[in-house]
Formats: sequence, structure tokens, C-alpha cells
Amino acid sequence: MSFWERNLPLSGGDGAVRTYHVSKSYIAGSFALRDLTLEVKKGEFVFLTGSSGAGKTTLLKLLFAAERPDEGQILVLGRNIARLRESGIPALRRRIGVVFQDYKLLNLLTIEDNVAIALEVAGAPRREARARAFRMLKQVGLQHRRYHHPLSLSGGEQQRVAIARALVNEPEILLADEPTGNLDPELTLEIMDLIAEASTRGTTVMVATHDLGLVGRYGRRTIRLEGGRIAEDAPDVGRDP
Amino acid sequence: MKRTGHIVLSLGRSAVRGLRASPVTTSIAVITIAAALVLAGGFGLLVANMGDLLARFGEELQVVAYLEEGLDGDELRSLAASVSTVEGVESAKIVSKAKALARFRETLGGAELLEGLAENPLPASLEVSLRPGDRTPEGVAVVVASLSGLPGIAELAHGQEWVEGYARFAFVVRVGTLGLGLILAIAALMIVANTIRLAVYSRADEIEILALVGASRSYVRIPFLLEGALQGALGGALAVGLLYLAFVAFRPGLEVGLELVLGNSALRFLSALQATAVVAAGGGLGLLGSLTAVFGARPAR
Repeated sequence: MSFWERNLPLSGGDGAVRTYHVSKSYIAGSFALRDLTLEVKKGEFVFLTGSSGAGKTTLLKLLFAAERPDEGQILVLGRNIARLRESGIPALRRRIGVVFQDYKLLNLLTIEDNVAIALEVAGAPRREARARAFRMLKQVGLQHRRYHHPLSLSGGEQQRVAIARALVNEPEILLADEPTGNLDPELTLEIMDLIAEASTRGTTVMVATHDLGLVGRYGRRTIRLEGGRIAEDAPDVGRDP
Repeated sequence: MKRTGHIVLSLGRSAVRGLRASPVTTSIAVITIAAALVLAGGFGLLVANMGDLLARFGEELQVVAYLEEGLDGDELRSLAASVSTVEGVESAKIVSKAKALARFRETLGGAELLEGLAENPLPASLEVSLRPGDRTPEGVAVVVASLSGLPGIAELAHGQEWVEGYARFAFVVRVGTLGLGLILAIAALMIVANTIRLAVYSRADEIEILALVGASRSYVRIPFLLEGALQGALGGALAVGLLYLAFVAFRPGLEVGLELVLGNSALRFLSALQATAVVAAGGGLGLLGSLTAVFGARPAR
């Protein structure tokens, strides 16, 4: 057992995400993340900020096991990502919703099916999956476009579909990587409100963004990354936008 | 169990969606498999019909022993009885000189040819039928060897050499078909593998998204395997259809030719079981091709 594994706190507690001295590099000698240690409590809303290449996306990728750390340990919902088997990844991902800047929707499917697929992969009956998808689309205000395909929707609408898909199976964690990067200011607030609403229901939310205006508006805990390290960890000031 | 059923349904839908999403690629794969199976199936059909002909020749295979002149009725019956005891012989039927003449007249439709002759020139004979297990070129050879030394037999006639030649030819065609079928199967396999590989690459985004929402690796892979199997089975069904059309179109001409050359013309198409086997072979090819593609591709994380 390694030093860091010996020194991992017991699983459980109120930490949704814990990283311990995590490093990740894609090119030898150049770190995307370096010696990163942080904890995000269950139900917490956290902004990750920093310039391009600061390590925001890499951190999120590590959290939903799209990447493995080179060093250190990561606990997500009590599962150690560094030691998680390939076969264990899908089960973990069903507990995490992920939203991307480029929406990542299946253009061949209707938006209802795009949302339902998150339930179907876990074995939900199609009828039930579609009913829940419809309810979720209603929450994001897109129920009237359930049979439309993603490419016939605006950017803001597509992102709402992506959020609906991320939230439909009531995940414990919602990760969003520049979710408003392609949207105008008005739509940005609309999308952020949807994400913030998930947080009020107890979902742990981590949003990577370089939009400092948005960060200031919400006043939540903000972790600023710089060169793969934490440059600042500003606490939640409880501001209500 | 119920959950598994829902997943299976979902995988099936995904496979059909995949096929419909890329109709050109799907059509190319289906046509390629069909072409390979039409060629292999065509040769298979040829082999099956040659086998049938060979079996029919076997049933009709007999040795005719032409007898020396001057044998009376008792001697004929005694010779027939001793021929019947020869190993491999089922029965020996006496054809008297008079009966031979009657048959000759019947066959040629008249007796003008024989009218100028003072006496019946045709010899009496024994038509020796072989036991079912001995109706082979080897069986004929054994019986001929046993009969050739018997007193009273002037000459032995049999179709052994012809049948041997035909059997050799049928064997060569069978082996050739097997070899050709194998080559065609490998070619079809590679084409299906590449088609599915292209589908995997062209749907990399879909695979990534499915993985992101928590789809297991099997959930991502199985639709591609089903697609391959479906493409293959469709190709197999198309091959059976094309073969049938070709069979119907060429059958009359072929049967006339065979009747003239072999005196035997009944051709048959693939049985229901054989046709099903062609469709299943297509499905198997498709499945193998997609297995090669899917397990050769880099897994999505």
C-alpha cells in the first residue's frame, strides 16, 4: 500500500470529491495538474476558474474517470478513481452528470431520447425512461420540443437538453465544463440558474468557467487554478443572484 | 432479468438505428456479403446437384454379363443363381435372347434393321444389380473381378470408368468449392470488418457520449456486433434470393443440356435448411467481421 493510500481518510463523511496530491501530465515535463489537494463537500457548489490550460478540464476529466491521475489519489463518492477498474467506471458515471461546452448530444436522436438514453443505459424500461425524460425536459422548459432533433435547436436549447440529460437520473454530482462558453449573456444566466437549482436539491456541483463575471454574480466557493495548482480557494459568500 | 430485457431491447434499437443511420455503408456491406455468398452458394448448389446425380447413377449402376451362345434355360438359371451368390451382388436378372430382341425393337421403334438377318444376333445376358452399399466404382470393380472368371460369361459391361471419372470430377468441384468458399468468406469477413470499423470511427462521438452517460463497454459494443450480424444475415437472404432467381432463369436450359448428355435432368434448389444455413452463414460472417472491428478498435473511456 502506498503512502497516500495509507493516509487517505476513511471513506464516507461528507466529502463528495477529495483529491490528494494529484498530478497529471500529457507531455513529459509539462503538468496539467500538479500536486492538487482539495475537498468538495456533498451538496456544495464550486466554481473552478483559471485561464486556458490551468487544469480545469483535466480536473473534471479525472473526476468522471475519463483520465487517470499519474500520481496521487482521487475519491469520488467514496470510490478511488486511481484504483477503479475499467468495469467500475459506468456505475460511477451513472452517479455523476456531466455537461460540456459543446453539448455532446446525439444528433440522430430526438431530444427526449437524448435525455432518456442516460436512463436506458442503466436498464430503465423505455417507457419509464421517456416519461422521466419528458418530466426533465419540462423542468428545463423544452417539453414542447421533445420530438425535435438537436440540430434544429438553438445553442441555449441544446445546452438545456444536455443539462436535462445530466440531471435526469438525479446524480449526486454535476460536473459542468464551460457550460455557457458558447452562449450569449442572457442564455448564460438561464443555464446557470438551472445548474444552481440542481445544487439546491442537494447535488454537488462543480462548474469550470473562465467567466469571472458569472462567478462574481453567484458568489459561491471558487477555486482558481494556475499552472495545474490551486492558486486561490475563495469560500462561498452566500450571495443570491 | 426484467432489466436485462430492457437493455437487450435498447441494444436492438440501437443496432437498427445504426444500420439506418448509414444506409450507403450498410448497403455496401450487405451487397458484398451477398456477392460472396452467391458465388459460394452457387458452387454449393452445383455440388449438391452433382452429388444427387452421382447418387442416382449409383442406384442405376449395374453390371451386364453377356452370355455365351448355346446356353439352355437350365444352364441360364443355374448361372444366374451362382452369380447371385457373388459378394456384392443383390440380384441377377436373366434377359433371354428373345427378350433382348424385343427390347431392341422397342428402343429403336422398329425391326427393319434386323429383318434381313436369318436369326437373332443378340446374346442372352444377366443384369446384375449391386447391393446398396456396393454401388460404388470400387464395388463394381470387385463384382466384375468375381464374375469375369465364371464359365458361360462371354463379356462384362459396366459404367465403372465413367462413374469413376464423374466421381473424381465431383470431388474436385467439391474441394474447389470449399477452397473458393473459404477465400470468399475471408474476403467478405474483411470487408464487413472494415465496414464496421468505419461505422465505429464515424460514430466515435456517439460512443463517447454513451460512455459519458454511464454505458458499459458491452452496451456500446453489442449494437455494433448486432449490426454486423444483421448486415450479414441480410446479405445471406439476398444471396438466397439471387440464387433462386438465377436457378429459375437457367434451369430449363441446363436441364435440356443434362438430359442430352447424361439422360438425367432433375435439378433441385437449396432445401429450406440449406437456404437457412446460407442466411446463418451470412450472419456469422457479419458477426465475425464486426467482432474483429470492435475488439480491434480502441475502447472508449
